[in-house]
Amino acid sequence: MPWGYPESIAITAGIAFVGFVLQIAVSDFNFYLLTSPVNLIVGALIVGFCLLTLALQKTKFLKWFTGVPFSVCLISALLILTLIMGLTPQTGPSSANVKKDIISLLGFNNMTGSWPFVLIYFTTLLSLGSLIVRRAAKFNIRDWGFYLTHFGLWLVLFAGGLGHADIERYLMHVREGEVEWRVYDDEGNVKELPIAIQLNDFDMEEYPPKLTIIDRETGEPQPQSDPDFYQIDTKIPKGKINGWELELNEYIHNAVRNSDSTYREVPMPGSTPAARITMHNPLTGEVRKGWVCGGNQAQLYKTLELDEEQTVVMTVPEPKRFMSDIEVYTPDGTIKSAILEVNHPLRINSWTIYQYGYDNAAGRLSTYSSMELVYDPWIIPVYIGFFMIATGAIVMIVRGRSLNRKRIVSTEHNKEEK
Amino acid sequence: MNWDIFIWFALPAVILWCSAGIVVYRKKNRVLADILMITGIAIFTLFIIGFWIDIERPPMRTMGETRLWYSFFLSVVGYVTYRRWKYPWLLSFSALVATVFVFINLLKPEIHSKNLMPALQSIWFIPHVTSYILSYAMFGAATIGAFVQLRKIHRKGLSDKKVFDFIDNIVYVGFGFLILGMLMGCVWAKEAWGHYWSWDPKETWAFVTSMAYLAYIHIRLQGKKQEKVALWLLPIAFILLLITWIGVNYLPSAQGSIHVY
Ligand code: HEM
Repeated sequence: MPWGYPESIAITAGIAFVGFVLQIAVSDFNFYLLTSPVNLIVGALIVGFCLLTLALQKTKFLKWFTGVPFSVCLISALLILTLIMGLTPQTGPSSANVKKDIISLLGFNNMTGSWPFVLIYFTTLLSLGSLIVRRAAKFNIRDWGFYLTHFGLWLVLFAGGLGHADIERYLMHVREGEVEWRVYDDEGNVKELPIAIQLNDFDMEEYPPKLTIIDRETGEPQPQSDPDFYQIDTKIPKGKINGWELELNEYIHNAVRNSDSTYREVPMPGSTPAARITMHNPLTGEVRKGWVCGGNQAQLYKTLELDEEQTVVMTVPEPKRFMSDIEVYTPDGTIKSAILEVNHPLRINSWTIYQYGYDNAAGRLSTYSSMELVYDPWIIPVYIGFFMIATGAIVMIVRGRSLNRKRIVSTEHNKEEK
Repeated sequence: MNWDIFIWFALPAVILWCSAGIVVYRKKNRVLADILMITGIAIFTLFIIGFWIDIERPPMRTMGETRLWYSFFLSVVGYVTYRRWKYPWLLSFSALVATVFVFINLLKPEIHSKNLMPALQSIWFIPHVTSYILSYAMFGAATIGAFVQLRKIHRKGLSDKKVFDFIDNIVYVGFGFLILGMLMGCVWAKEAWGHYWSWDPKETWAFVTSMAYLAYIHIRLQGKKQEKVALWLLPIAFILLLITWIGVNYLPSAQGSIHVY
C-alpha cells in the first residue's frame, strides 16, 4: 500500500520548509529568470518528467505521488499560503538593503514570488501532470469529466505560471490625428514598439448629470450631512432636493448657449448638458425658474440662484462609454482599424490593445487617448484550459457526484484488499 | 411598465414562490408546487419584459435592476436544480433568497442612483455574479448538511450515507457554478483590465475559498477515510466564502483592491 496522509503531510511540509529556508537565504524567487527561452526549457522538463512516470506506473512511489492524500496536502498547502497572502498586504518584493521584519523575511508580503509558493506550485504541476498521464495510460472515455477539469487546470497552471515572465504591459498616449509608437513601462521608461497606433478620433458618451443645491459660500452640496441629488431623467421629471420641489421642464443633452442665456440642441464636440427647471419651496411658496448647465472647457456653467445662500448646480456627468477610433500598423504590413472601448479590446497576434484613459479634466473634449498594450504569447493555451475546465464544470453541475460512484467503490475495494 | 407598478407583479410572484416552497414538502403536493413556482416565474418574467420594452434598453444598469435579475435567476435555477435533484428544500431556499432580493428592491430601490461605470458594462457581468450567488446558495446548504451529519456521527457513531450523498452532490454542483463564475470573471478581467488573474485581494480570497472546497471533493474520493475532517472543512470553507463575498472590503490587506463592487 502506498503512503497515506501522515507521509504526505510530512513531505508537503518538508517542501514548504525547504522553500522558507531558500527564501531566507536567497530572498524572493526571481520570476523574470523564467523569460523565454528558459520557460520553454523548464516546460519541456516538466512535460518530460510527467511522461517518464509512464515507466513507473506500477511503483508505490507513483501511486502515492499521484494519489489522493498527496493531492489533498498540496491543495491544502496552496490554501494556507494564499490564506496568508489574503491577510498580508502584498507590497511586492522588498529590496535587499531594507531591514526586514519577519513578514518580509518569510516572503509573506510577496507570496506569489516566494520560494515556498513556487515550490508547491511546481510540485502540484508535476503531481497533477503525472496523474493525468497515469489515467490517460488506461484511458476510459467515461472519465471525460475528470480529463477535462484536470488537464484544463494543468494547462492553465502550466501556461499561466511559466508564461508570466513573458507578459509585457505598456501605456501609450496618442493625440488625436497623430501616430504613436513610443510607450511607457511600469517604471515610466520610454520604449519604442514595433506596433504603431494612429488615433483618428476620441469620443465619449455621458450619462445625464445630477442636480443638487450647494451653499454659495462653501460650495458644499446640501444638506451637508447627506446631500440630496436629483438624477436627471426625462421619464421621472420630478424630484425633491434640500426641501425644494424640483420639476424638470426641458433637458438638452448636447446643448449650446444662445446669446439670450437660453439653450438649444447642437450636437457638436463642445456642447454640454443643460436643463430648464422650476424650483418650488412648499414652505415659503417661492418659485424659481431657469436654466442650469454644468459647462465644460468650451462653455461657461450656469446656475439657478434660490436665495442668498443656496443655488442649484449641475454635477459633472459620469462617463457612459469612451472610445477611440484607431488604426494599428504592424511590421508585417497589416493595418487594422477598430473602435476601442472599455471591455472591447483589440487583439492583434499576441498583443491586446485596451482603451485605458483620457484627459479627465477635459472629459469629452480630451485631445488624447491612453491605451494599454499587453503582450501575452501564452494566452491561447490558457484559454483552451479555461474552456476545458468550464466544460468539466458543466459536467459536474449536471451529473453531480453520481458520475464517480462506480470508480470510488472500486478504490474502496482496493483498500480492503490490503 | 415601470417601477411604480413593480409591486403588483412582485408580491404575487413572491407569494406564489413561497407557497411552492412550503407545499413542496408533501409528496402529493409536488404537482401543485410545480404550478405555483412556474406561475410565479411567469409573472415575474412578464414584468421584466414589459420593463425592458418601457425603458428601451436592457435593464442591467442600476443596482435595482441587477437585483431584479438575481431574483429571476434564483427562482428559475432553483426550480430547475430542484427538478434535477429532487431536494424540496432547494426550492424553498431559492424562493426565500429570491424573495429577499425582491423585498430589498421594494424597500430600497436604488433604481436611479447608480450609473453603470464603463468597466461594468460587459456581457459577463450578469452571468459572473449570478453563477457566484448560485454557488454560495449551494454551499450554504452543504454547510447545514455537514452539521446534520456531524451530529449524527456524534450521536450514533456512524455517518448517514443519504446525508453524505446529498452533501457530496450539492458540493459538486456548487463547485461547478463556482468555477464557472470564476472563469467568467477571468475572461472579463482580461477584457477589461488586461489580465485574467492579478491576485487582487478579492481574487486571492476567491482562490482560497475554491481550494477549500477542492480539498473537500478530493478527501471524499476515499469514502470512509477522514470523514470528520471533510465535514469540518465545510463550515470552514463557508467562513472563507463569506470573507470573500462580504469581508474582503474590510481587510487591511485589501485596501486598494480594484474590485470596488
Ligand atoms: C479544477 C480543479 C479540480 C476539480 C474540479 C477536480 C475534481 C476531481 C474529481 C471530480 C475527481 C474524481 C473523478 C474521477 O476520479 O473520475 C478527481 C480526482 C482526483 N483529483 Fe482532482 N480536481 C481538480 C484539481 C485537482 C488537483 C489540483 C489535483 C492535484 C494536486 C487533483 C488530484 C486528483 C487526484 C489524485 C484524483 C484521484 C484520481 C485517481 O485516483 O484516479 N485534482 N478530481
